[in-house]
Amino acid sequence: MAYSFPEEVLEYVLSFIKTDKDRNAVSLVCKSWYEIERWCRRRVFIGNCYAVNPRIMIRRFPEIRSVEIKGKPHFADFNLVPEGWGGYFHPWVVAMARAYPMLEEIRLKRMVVSDDCLEMIAKSFKNFRVLVMSSCEGFSTDGLACIAANCRNLRELDLRESEVEDLSGHWLSHFPDTCTSLESLNIACLGSEVCFSALERLVSRCPNLRKLQLNRTVPLEKLPNLLIRAPELVEFGTGAYSAELRPELLSNLVNAFAGCKKLKALSGFWDVVPAYIPAIYPVCCGLTSLNLSYANIQSPDIIKLVSQCQNLQRLWVLDYIEDSGLDVLATCCKKLEELRVFPSDPYDVEPNVSLTEQGLVSVSEGCPKLQSVLYFCRRMSNAALFTIAKNSPNLIRFRLCIIEARAPDYLTYEPLDAGFGAIVENCRELRRLSLSGFLTDRVFEYIGKHAKKLEMLSIAFAGQGDLGLHHVLSGCDSLRKLEIRDCPFGDKALLANAAKLETMRSLWMSSCPVSYGACKLLGQKLRRVNVEVIDERGTPESRPDSCHIEKLYIYRTLSGPRVDTPDFIWTMDEEGNTPQ
Amino acid sequence: MAIVRPEMKSYIWLQTTDGSIQEVEEEVAMFCPMICREVLQTGMGSSKNYAIKLPQRVNPAVLGLILDYCRFHQLPGHSNKELKTYDEKFIRLDTKNLCELTSAADSLQLRPLVDLTSRALARIIEGKTPEEIRETFHLPDDLTEEEKLEPLRNMTDDPRIRLLNRLYARKRKELKEREKVKNVEVAEEHMDKRSVDDLLSFINGGDGDSKCVRSAKNKKKNRRRKDQPRNSASNNDNENREKETESLNSAHYNGAVEDVSSSNRALMLQDSSSATLLSNLDFDDADIDDGLDPALKEEIDREVEDFARRLNSVWPERMQEIYALGQERRLLQIHGNSSVARYTGKRNGSSMNVAHLFYRKLILIVFL
Repeated sequence: MAYSFPEEVLEYVLSFIKTDKDRNAVSLVCKSWYEIERWCRRRVFIGNCYAVNPRIMIRRFPEIRSVEIKGKPHFADFNLVPEGWGGYFHPWVVAMARAYPMLEEIRLKRMVVSDDCLEMIAKSFKNFRVLVMSSCEGFSTDGLACIAANCRNLRELDLRESEVEDLSGHWLSHFPDTCTSLESLNIACLGSEVCFSALERLVSRCPNLRKLQLNRTVPLEKLPNLLIRAPELVEFGTGAYSAELRPELLSNLVNAFAGCKKLKALSGFWDVVPAYIPAIYPVCCGLTSLNLSYANIQSPDIIKLVSQCQNLQRLWVLDYIEDSGLDVLATCCKKLEELRVFPSDPYDVEPNVSLTEQGLVSVSEGCPKLQSVLYFCRRMSNAALFTIAKNSPNLIRFRLCIIEARAPDYLTYEPLDAGFGAIVENCRELRRLSLSGFLTDRVFEYIGKHAKKLEMLSIAFAGQGDLGLHHVLSGCDSLRKLEIRDCPFGDKALLANAAKLETMRSLWMSSCPVSYGACKLLGQKLRRVNVEVIDERGTPESRPDSCHIEKLYIYRTLSGPRVDTPDFIWTMDEEGNTPQ
Repeated sequence: MAIVRPEMKSYIWLQTTDGSIQEVEEEVAMFCPMICREVLQTGMGSSKNYAIKLPQRVNPAVLGLILDYCRFHQLPGHSNKELKTYDEKFIRLDTKNLCELTSAADSLQLRPLVDLTSRALARIIEGKTPEEIRETFHLPDDLTEEEKLEPLRNMTDDPRIRLLNRLYARKRKELKEREKVKNVEVAEEHMDKRSVDDLLSFINGGDGDSKCVRSAKNKKKNRRRKDQPRNSASNNDNENREKETESLNSAHYNGAVEDVSSSNRALMLQDSSSATLLSNLDFDDADIDDGLDPALKEEIDREVEDFARRLNSVWPERMQEIYALGQERRLLQIHGNSSVARYTGKRNGSSMNVAHLFYRKLILIVFL
């Protein structure tokens, strides 16, 4: 006898269940729960815009208020996905304009959004509140003007890292005087100067403004004016952090920063003049997040800054910090959870700074809460990786980028298999891993054996042959996203593990010896999976089946083959017919 | 009108669905909006004969719990902390009672209690798999495999959708057949525990030992072929049989891949009917043409089998291979020139800001 309760009660219970994982579990319990769940689902996350289509989403979830969609594969960030690949937001916004008039939030990543889309958003959704576009492209400041002018209750406009056609900074003036709802504004990626007085007025009349990230063109002199008008700021991104040395500017800045008592995160810092860094000292002890990845300041200045941020949880910094700076970080910032060290000059074969594997080892020793690492360096050793693995068993994300491809252990000249093996063996909760350096199939054996919670794996210039890929596909139970470039993985491992591909979100392979014939075979054998061959040399049919394809993107889908493919993508037909 | 007792206390009479009637202190009962409304609007509850009939979902046991809650909460003077402590203790019930309590509280419109119990239920549900939730709440497993797989319904006349529906129909058939044999585990749907041999036979189209089945299927295919006109000499069937625009000559086996000659097509066709290994790719529909060159398929099959054998072989030989390779240290250029040129060329017009941003991303070409 079922423990039942009325529908409205179950609906109310479900309103407390928020995560996608839990909601998905709820929907699979039984027919009645499936029905109730789908009617009261308010938020949906679509990790691959081609895995499902707007029709299916709307049919299943009629009452959505918040949508998050991702488009291009991750390797698009490294120019491996050709221009015109896809990821168009247009069909989604057209369908949602009809079906979800009450839509409030749209979050997009790596999608192509046109000005028409922005106009449609602005005019179709009366309650629209949140627009976040991460690494998107295809729109201009005209589209932004439309959003600004028409979205009466806009709370969040976040353009992080998007490519915007910057026609003028005038769009900001399109926010009407009646707009007082803004809570978050991130325009850091824009190039042209915004009308500062409009910005100032906007900041003044929005009492709930918590996040403000300016672009580089906002001069340092104007910062005090803005900051005193936004005392509720929690996250702030400066513009260019440089000006002639003037004592009154420094003291204005100090006072302005000190006035923001709630400030927890700082970013921006283009073109830093070190003399002005002390202006942020008053807020350092409250900072939990510091993004210095554009800041061209040297190690001594970074050390002085970082040593005052005892509560720092997240630090993004250039390798100017050097090993010495990371030592200080390890000593002072015991709450550190995430560290990203970017290279200041990656193209130079000789190191321009003294940053080695030692810095990361120090941080792993000194920061017990370290969870997430992205580290660029020029040399690594198995010994260092053993130490890091031992010190940081709670790692969730570990992305190591040794700048020189196929660089071995610099002490022993051996492959780095054992080191990465130690990482996956000790860090049981590891969800994301990026490999680099000289690696044989052995490392993949370790990964397949130990990395049971690994969800995303990025491989480049590694492995000896199909065995490596086989280990990963057969061993990593939780694998969702696999991206590979320039590795000697071919047909055999793919064909032997074809069924695994139905359980993953996507697989990307480029510059690997995968034959066209194998792709066709995969296309036939895999149901509900799109096997897309990307080849800019013209149709693969004009070459022998044994010829290697350029790029391969395989992903599971409910909506069949794409209907918007450009002329360099061929979807392998399930009947084995010649693709169009 | 409530009866006034010597103790100056008023009571309200309530009747549950099982017929039993009880009297409850007025201030406690009136804490429930539903009872309150009944009393005020209809005047019921003043005596045993005019007891307020409570909704169906309120049985005596759960009524007792609710009244305890009301008794505590209607008293003024409790601190927030005391209330919280009481509530936390109050909801420590088994799931069955918690469900009954939630339903009952809802029918009595006792919002704070509904809130409390609903949150407790949500916490029970969180983190569980569908199977576990079903067990906890004794719910039926009545979603069909089909519904769990979310099949596509034919919304348009798009031929591709029709094709997919046909494939789904086939999949449904497969599932039904499997159902007859054993229970299909939903949770296992996405976990592939098959061995490499099984996977290979999956690719080769067999359900068991690939070799045996293959020969059986060969016979089947050959029988079918006898019914179809032999096409070795006929050009009309060329389009049906061979959709490839090229074929490989025997030089392929020696590794020469690039040479393509369409004049070899006739040669291949003559061979195709006798190449029984073609039946490796198993499709029930005779009209499906896999379009793959048979010689290449054979090669792939052979390589996959060889690969499987190697997988099961002893590891040390591989180790020696690898260490031999490992001694060489290769220095390579770290960036792809073409990508850099493509990017910086396009970005000439944009500001320094964006260039810097993508400069960062550029360097990540090699690594991640």
